[in-house]
Amino acid sequence: MIACMRARRQLSAYMDGNLEARPARRVALHLDACPACGARWRSLRSAVAMLAEAPRLECRDLISTRVGDRLEVETRSAGLALILRPTWKARPLIFPSLIPAAAVLVVVLGLAFVLDRDHDPLPAVVTRGAESWGPTAASGTESNPLFLSAEVSAPRVRTAAPINDLLAALGEESLFVETVVARDGSVSTVTLLGGDSLQAGPLLEALRHERFEPGRRHGRPVAVSLYRLISRTDVHAPVT
Amino acid sequence: MAAGEFALRSAEALAGGASLEHGLVEQCRRGDAQAFARLVALHEGMVFNLAARLLGDPEEARDAAQEVFLQVYRTLGRFEGRSTLKTWIYRIVVNHCRNRQRWWRRRRKDRSCPIDALTPADEARLAEHGPRAEGPEERLERRERARAVQSALLQLSFEHRAVLLLREVEGLSCEEIAGTLSIAEGTVKSRLSRARDALRGSLAGRQELQ
Ligand SMILES: [Zn+2]
Repeated sequence: MIACMRARRQLSAYMDGNLEARPARRVALHLDACPACGARWRSLRSAVAMLAEAPRLECRDLISTRVGDRLEVETRSAGLALILRPTWKARPLIFPSLIPAAAVLVVVLGLAFVLDRDHDPLPAVVTRGAESWGPTAASGTESNPLFLSAEVSAPRVRTAAPINDLLAALGEESLFVETVVARDGSVSTVTLLGGDSLQAGPLLEALRHERFEPGRRHGRPVAVSLYRLISRTDVHAPVT
Repeated sequence: MAAGEFALRSAEALAGGASLEHGLVEQCRRGDAQAFARLVALHEGMVFNLAARLLGDPEEARDAAQEVFLQVYRTLGRFEGRSTLKTWIYRIVVNHCRNRQRWWRRRRKDRSCPIDALTPADEARLAEHGPRAEGPEERLERRERARAVQSALLQLSFEHRAVLLLREVEGLSCEEIAGTLSIAEGTVKSRLSRARDALRGSLAGRQELQ
């Protein structure tokens, strides 16, 4: 029984050829001699093969087109989306001068957020079409907030979180954060969408205490989702 | 996918050494949108497949893939070339899907039907990828296998699923996975061992039931 347990523990390493010659030989001999472990080995191999041979899942529409559309919204530039459309290969660069400008704008928005949060409206680096979130239509309540659009004005910071020290502690990491600003201007949720959750803890806590002038639609306060990329690092400015 | 595009991808894959990749990254950093378009085209299939397998939902995966490339675009300035571009993107995909799943679970917990397998439409589509000569029974079997694998995957923990997919589907070495996920190589190996065994148990359990 001890031999069985030992052999089974080593099957994964054995499969990868990660065992030394002697233990590998011991496992091989055991698999030959023990029908139960032999069967286990075969079922392990067939399970792994089934996964490895599973066909790749393919997206029905082109992701690059969607990325292009989103970058266009973010950078307020038509150039990227045009180029990222499926026809981009056949098309000469139409707005070459817009591209570096767009990239610079992304950098500036990020820095404005970090350095000058008291005066600037929050740059929402991402605006997301409500339709991409499935069956429930966004209603502007805290549990179902709206995204920024032509109709929905961005919340403005009234009390910024003191995050400079926390940013320094973040080092190289960058965080991608969703903040839902409630109708009363408080923060109803802060969610880390990208980045190291361990390091992000204190910063997320600080962001929960921010206070805003709420976003509005048709003059009425609505709950709004803000997406922010928070990073301390200088993003290399593109060479023009 | 158009034939021309496929040819382009194959050519890039053949020539896809570090220098080509380095050049592409440099072009993207300089704000070359065509270079970024190429970067997306080269990796979107991998990003979508990995996200769909991790999240178990094609719609979520499509949104996730989009977010991943936006994050790649925004943070490309900090890619240092210590890892390959591909493993760097893997890292972003896994982190993004992990967070997205947490967020999704919290927010959609009221949704009546949990996502735990492929939709029938996806299964049908997967079944169509088989050889031409295959009969209806084989096709059905292929479809059943695709469904079984995905639902077995989704019974694993997220971390086990991630390690297993990076190893068996994406073909990364344990060392590369360790770098991608920022965990020790020993941890990768023990997770991989448990994940393989859990997958085996899950798939074997299904067969016994039938
Ligand atoms: Zn045995």
